[in-house]
Amino acid sequence: MLDPVANSLERYLDVLSARQRLMASNIANADTPGYKTQDLDFQAEFRSLVRGASPHPVEVTGLQVRNDGNNVSLDREARLLAENALRFNLASSLLRTEIRTVRSAIKEGRSG
Amino acid sequence: MSLFSVLSVSASGMAAQRTRATLLAENLANAETTRTPEGGPYRRKDAVFISEPAAPFGEVFQSALGAGGTGVRVAEIIEDPREPEKRYQPGHPDADADGYVAFPRINPAEDMVDLMGAARGYQANVAAITAVKDMIHRSIELLR
Repeated sequence: MLDPVANSLERYLDVLSARQRLMASNIANADTPGYKTQDLDFQAEFRSLVRGASPHPVEVTGLQVRNDGNNVSLDREARLLAENALRFNLASSLLRTEIRTVRSAIKEGRSG
Repeated sequence: MSLFSVLSVSASGMAAQRTRATLLAENLANAETTRTPEGGPYRRKDAVFISEPAAPFGEVFQSALGAGGTGVRVAEIIEDPREPEKRYQPGHPDADADGYVAFPRINPAEDMVDLMGAARGYQANVAAITAVKDMIHRSIELLR
């Protein structure tokens, strides 16, 4: 869009959105028999998305499976939900300053 | 990117939990019901959930994006197959020849615990919607 930094930020926001969607799915399916927790490999997704690929959800291993075959941990999902929202806030603030820089450059050029 | 489709995922979770809570409240209300339109005492009901793609609108985005977000819906409403509880009440109008009345086999503790679970599940979905709403708001802020 603007420059490499803004481009990376945009991808970062994309990965965060995709991940937030999976967190919402996990929470919605917290009582669905047989449902397995899904997540993204964040670092790998970010790197591959910068090159223009689309995200691939994977099943999370190492979680306790309940009697009905469901392994959603609401604590884990709530933590990641909050973490994603905070990261998104941070990245969008950074992107905003990037946009503001470009905007001020345009304004200065106009007045000169 | 479709943050908006996340809202429909969480909304499906809320709807499913609400349906479950309705059934549990129905069970508690009918704990002593001996007559039903189908005949016989009331039978305990419960909802079974199944995951599914969020919405037709969301599916289009999903195929474009590749990241699957799945909502949830009530697959079926099951009735408790357990035999009704027989209580000796000869004066009851629904008593059989031996004086026993068939009452629903409902344990209020069981339903109250499930009801709490449904309420917590509903709250968790609301929390997810709040978090996503905040993210959407931040994205809109970028335009200002």
